[in-house]
Amino acid sequence: MYLHIGVILLVMAAAYTAANRLKLSVELRMLSATLAGGITGAFFHTPPLMQLGRHMIEGSFTYLDVMLVFVTATIFIEIMATSGSVNFVVRGIVTTFFRVRMLALFLLMFVILIPGALTGAGSVSVLTVGAPCALALGYLGVSRGRSAAILFIIAGLSAAAPPVNIWAMIVSAGTAIPYVGFELPLGIPVLLLGTFTMLTLGWRQEQRLSLEQVLAEMPPVPEGMAWWRVALPFGVFFGLVVIGRVLPFTIPIMGLPLQFVLSAAVALAVSPGPINILTLSRDTVKKLTPLLATMAVVGAMQQVMTVTGVKGLISFAVISVPLIMLYALLVFIIPASEGVLTYGGAAIIGIPLVWFLDSRGLHATVVIAGLSLLWPLGDGLPPTALIGRLTMMVTEYRESYISFLKKTWIPWLAITLVGILMVIFSAKLAFLVEWSM
Amino acid sequence: MTVIMIVYYLITAFTAAMLIWNFIREKSDRQKMVLYLIVLTPLLLRILRIR
Amino acid sequence: MTRTAIYKMSLAAIFGLVSGIAGYQFYEHRHYQAPIIAGPGVTRVVKLHEYCPSLKGTPADTDVFFLEGAGDGGTVLLVANTHSNEPAARLTAEIFLENCTIQKGRLIVIPQFNNSGSRNTKPGDGYPLYFEIPTAWGKKKFRMGNRNASPLDSWPDPDVYIHYPDRSLLSYLDVRNTNRTWPGRPDGPLMERVCFAAMELIRNEQVDVAIDIHGAETMFPVTNCIVAPEKSSRIATMVQLMTQAMEGFTVNVYPSPQNFRGLSHREIGDYSNAMPFLLEAPIPFLDQPTGPKTEELLLTGRDPLLLSLARQGKLFVPYDEYGWPMKNRVGQHCSVILEIMNQLSQASPERAVVAENVPRYKDVLEHDVGYYYHNPATADPARVYPN
Ligand SMILES: [Zn+2]
Repeated sequence: MYLHIGVILLVMAAAYTAANRLKLSVELRMLSATLAGGITGAFFHTPPLMQLGRHMIEGSFTYLDVMLVFVTATIFIEIMATSGSVNFVVRGIVTTFFRVRMLALFLLMFVILIPGALTGAGSVSVLTVGAPCALALGYLGVSRGRSAAILFIIAGLSAAAPPVNIWAMIVSAGTAIPYVGFELPLGIPVLLLGTFTMLTLGWRQEQRLSLEQVLAEMPPVPEGMAWWRVALPFGVFFGLVVIGRVLPFTIPIMGLPLQFVLSAAVALAVSPGPINILTLSRDTVKKLTPLLATMAVVGAMQQVMTVTGVKGLISFAVISVPLIMLYALLVFIIPASEGVLTYGGAAIIGIPLVWFLDSRGLHATVVIAGLSLLWPLGDGLPPTALIGRLTMMVTEYRESYISFLKKTWIPWLAITLVGILMVIFSAKLAFLVEWSM
Repeated sequence: MTVIMIVYYLITAFTAAMLIWNFIREKSDRQKMVLYLIVLTPLLLRILRIR
Repeated sequence: MTRTAIYKMSLAAIFGLVSGIAGYQFYEHRHYQAPIIAGPGVTRVVKLHEYCPSLKGTPADTDVFFLEGAGDGGTVLLVANTHSNEPAARLTAEIFLENCTIQKGRLIVIPQFNNSGSRNTKPGDGYPLYFEIPTAWGKKKFRMGNRNASPLDSWPDPDVYIHYPDRSLLSYLDVRNTNRTWPGRPDGPLMERVCFAAMELIRNEQVDVAIDIHGAETMFPVTNCIVAPEKSSRIATMVQLMTQAMEGFTVNVYPSPQNFRGLSHREIGDYSNAMPFLLEAPIPFLDQPTGPKTEELLLTGRDPLLLSLARQGKLFVPYDEYGWPMKNRVGQHCSVILEIMNQLSQASPERAVVAENVPRYKDVLEHDVGYYYHNPATADPARVYPN
């Protein structure tokens, strides 16, 4: 059995490489690998050929709701950008905090942390506040590359931050460990690491501009723009999220897509100028299609890998290595699993790993918290590089992807170290869980 | 079916319509045409209440 | 016609064909009915919505079977397919429904508790759509369902599920998980209504013992066991000792955690007078590190990767080349349920429930599961319930 699963895995890798040679995009490379793996599997009747299409399409449903969040959140932020709100906000931040630079950086960190913390998706941070924050960082003297690095790392931390952490939720749900007591084990490292990132990447002022110069360089504010026109749509969004949490038994379940749609409707209503929502939506969906396709294909790939046994073999390999080696490997495996499978990595590797470590006497909640600091790093790794690519898009950083990634190395290392130490010393950190409850 | 659930079908249908519009408008990028259909497939099966 | 137009149309045709075939398979699975035959002991069948009117007409409504004895006694409730991807539960419930007669007291059986979940598939996990159990008259075909209700019946999910009434934060998926939505509300999300209806049934029918049948991975510590809160722990321990001594298999007793909300073994006990028990039998099919997810693996529980892990000491159940066949899991469930009834009857004779004609562990091992199922084609049509 090992042999035939190994053959399927090799065929998938070969198809991926061949698709690369044919200059296919990363989504189509993954699709080729999936299709090739599935067809090879069908020779062994795993899956039966007539079920292959069903498995691929069923897999593409795995992240359907996440796809709708992407679409609605991006349409919302595109409306805000088109209405001129973004320029207005950037101007405001820079004018108010130009002279107290470290305070400005610290406040910007919170601005980036909040949307991702509330939604569990770093992409929401990048999409809603990424562009204005990157501009603000630029005017505070941080180079474009470092701004992109800051945005990527803080957005990743925001996804790991409490109250909503999707990786922890997936692993908790799969291991029947309650999703409670994560506030301090996640909150404290996120704040420390976020501050550390702001200090290391933002400390150096690479360009010196006077306030007059900065303001002159900034895009003009549209006629009739005012603070309330910016605040109201965001207020509606965060209001809906907060009210759903405070009054969960009186407010019906809305879900993030509807919350974004309502906020978008408000944004549209208070925009000072007219916006053509149809062409704006069409162009937003066009821009998002590669990311949406990534989500669909990752789901299909995950399912084909499961039904062929490839996923099982990988997860077998992970839990068969000795404990010490496992700790060392986690540094690479956890981010890499996210890079290849997005949230699928938490399911495929996270669930058996946490069971295994739990049975070795580690504290499961702290282990999950530690691991979930590492997963967001993988959102910058190919083939998906989901948040990394979004960050590049939003910050308009035009250099190579590798050069962007290199700029993140110091916080990357710090996050890795903290995450792994949390896993190893989880039993000693159990008090954080108790204090949270 | 609740009102909110109906709204979700509308959101899905709107997204599907945007994908179809882009698919029809796309003149040259043959890879992108495939991507539109990949994303469209689960959306359509949801709208038809099949999965 | 331009070349681009031809290319686009062929692409659309390919996608249309594949989605057409898959769509048909999904549709068939969602609407397939596996018949349940009401055996000689079944005295009446009602719908779950009788206990929560807001369930009426929803795809979450389901059949409730009453087996009422002549003599006075207590009431035992059997809940199966809370998680429809743990099918030993429904197979066990059907053995009771088709064969059991009640001497004293009452047995209430809900064989398809999360009906919506049983008509759903699990994206990413590559399950077969169906599995078949061989019987004397041919194969009986069942749907392989999902742990969670279908998004076609409960959509959207919240960003985080806030458990009612405790406010514990649970995964967004758990809003569709009928082992997280206990005790539920009559006007909450659909699965909370399902659990509320069951709570109402437990309270109104004065249920003494509520048994929720599950399966769990061999790599999950809480497997091959009875999960019981404080009030049920004495009976659970007796059942463990008795089955071990008399029938030669070992199930462990695992205490129900205080702070893990929404589960049947916690909330049924806290919100009614009933004693809850949750039964877990191993289901290697659900383990992560296995080979291909085939119907055979589901039925035999035999897998070389798990065997290798067992030799490394990484499983929580005994495991060898024999695997964990369905008959072992169903047989254990049958014996454990009968032994719980027996212990209840001994502890409080006025609340006794005495069941007859139900096979025990050794019987199921000898005859296999399908032996206890009758042919729906030759049964009295009035006694056949599509499900
Ligand atoms: Zn279960």
